[in-house]
Amino acid sequence: MKVCLFEDEKFDLLYPLTLTRASFELRCGSMTLVERIRRINPGIEASFFLRDHLAPVLRERLGNAVVNSLEDLGRDDVILVNGRWLPEHGRLPIEGDETVATCRGDVVYVRAKRETVRKSLSDSLQKTIENLRSELSVEKVEARMVEYPWPLVQYNHELLKEDFEAYWSKREGVKAMGEMFSVVGDKSLLQVSRSAAIHPFVVLDTSSGPIMVDDGARIYPFSRIEGPCYIGRDTWIVRGNIREETSIGPVCRVGGEVEASIIQGYSNKYHTGFLGHAYVGEWVNIGALTTNSDLKNDYSTVDVYVKGRLMDTGDLKVGSFIGDHSKFGIGCLLNTGTVVGAACVMLGGEVLPKYIPSFCWYADGRLRRGAGFRRTVEAERRVMSRRSVVMSESYVKMLEKIYQDTKEERETLIRKAEMRLQQGGL
Amino acid sequence: MSVEEEVKRIIAEHFRVSVESLKDDTSLVDDLMAESIDTVELIATFEEAFNLEIPEEEAERNQTVGQVVEYIKAKLAQAGRC
Repeated sequence: MKVCLFEDEKFDLLYPLTLTRASFELRCGSMTLVERIRRINPGIEASFFLRDHLAPVLRERLGNAVVNSLEDLGRDDVILVNGRWLPEHGRLPIEGDETVATCRGDVVYVRAKRETVRKSLSDSLQKTIENLRSELSVEKVEARMVEYPWPLVQYNHELLKEDFEAYWSKREGVKAMGEMFSVVGDKSLLQVSRSAAIHPFVVLDTSSGPIMVDDGARIYPFSRIEGPCYIGRDTWIVRGNIREETSIGPVCRVGGEVEASIIQGYSNKYHTGFLGHAYVGEWVNIGALTTNSDLKNDYSTVDVYVKGRLMDTGDLKVGSFIGDHSKFGIGCLLNTGTVVGAACVMLGGEVLPKYIPSFCWYADGRLRRGAGFRRTVEAERRVMSRRSVVMSESYVKMLEKIYQDTKEERETLIRKAEMRLQQGGL
Repeated sequence: MSVEEEVKRIIAEHFRVSVESLKDDTSLVDDLMAESIDTVELIATFEEAFNLEIPEEEAERNQTVGQVVEYIKAKLAQAGRC
């Protein structure tokens, strides 16, 4: 049996997070879906289907994974898994009859034998799944399907606890410590990698859930961490007040107050400032005192821009969603439910617009075209090299595709913003 | 639209002034109050509009609108497009 993770056509509802990665690479809990399947279902061979311009980058990330190969699909019995699904405890329903499981119309997974797959193969995965849908019995299931960015933050609490039970509490080479720092709550809910360093005057509070500190992470003095929480590989917490339900991916530098948020990885928020109910991509830099609101003053539900339209999240606590490579200067203020695209630059001093298109700058109250593609790539190459990551040619091509795809939206919004400024009495 | 007209249109749009108000000796810094962010953005806009690669150190030598026009013309000529 093989597992095949696929993106369905709803990937763009998860923008800006899925501008630069597939839905199954999003972090929720302590892992991405890819990592979860590899760690919790070891030995199972995985292949992937995603947008063409992301495929070479995924191949590089995963080391020559089988990507977008219909040919490979017919070689074995398979479970096709929707990349937006968060399976309970990370376990895949490998055993059982052939079936197509759906939740509110979306395919959650398809379990099929090799012969059935071969019979259903078409020229695209989408059509192949449609064929399997008419070939096999369809069962309706309840499933955690992530349709928009904010459910990732909402589900983070559950996933952190499940990951701890399914993986971290059983992980070899991990120890629970309690010498140089203070643990409040059940010490067995604390799992610290042997290569992690926790300095004196750190408080780890497991009263509300487990705390997982991954390889090479460092927690510096005067930090407080509440569970459930995950601190990723080689991440530093520098005088951080890391509140519950937070996941911080690998190689981040995080200080200040962070609550119920997910940071994908390789991002910095070194200084004082609040980040709450937010999802931050990779290679983001958040300057000192930059703060996001996650609760409106009238305690009404928060609206978020999805595909150009404001959508009611139905939730009172929603922070911001920040695409990869975006940078915030000192003192930026982000309104509740703000969406920032990829590779944006924001200068502070005022509340930012609620939506900033990719590759835009916002400064002096104006939405701007910024440094253009070539200079942005040059700058981001420098950013990545500081963490010993080389920006590959495939990665540049992926960014270029995003730059071109978002150009019309960027120009339209800049034009509209300029018109509004002129009508404002200039 | 000539190169000169296009350059002036871009500068005027960027600084939100009329094209007519721009003279050859209009200073980007003293008259239009250009800051570093404006320089970066203008370079990127010219690069995209004229399909050129403009090194920052070259661009920063241009202090007036007239110098920018002449610089862009020279770059286009260098590229065999003017």
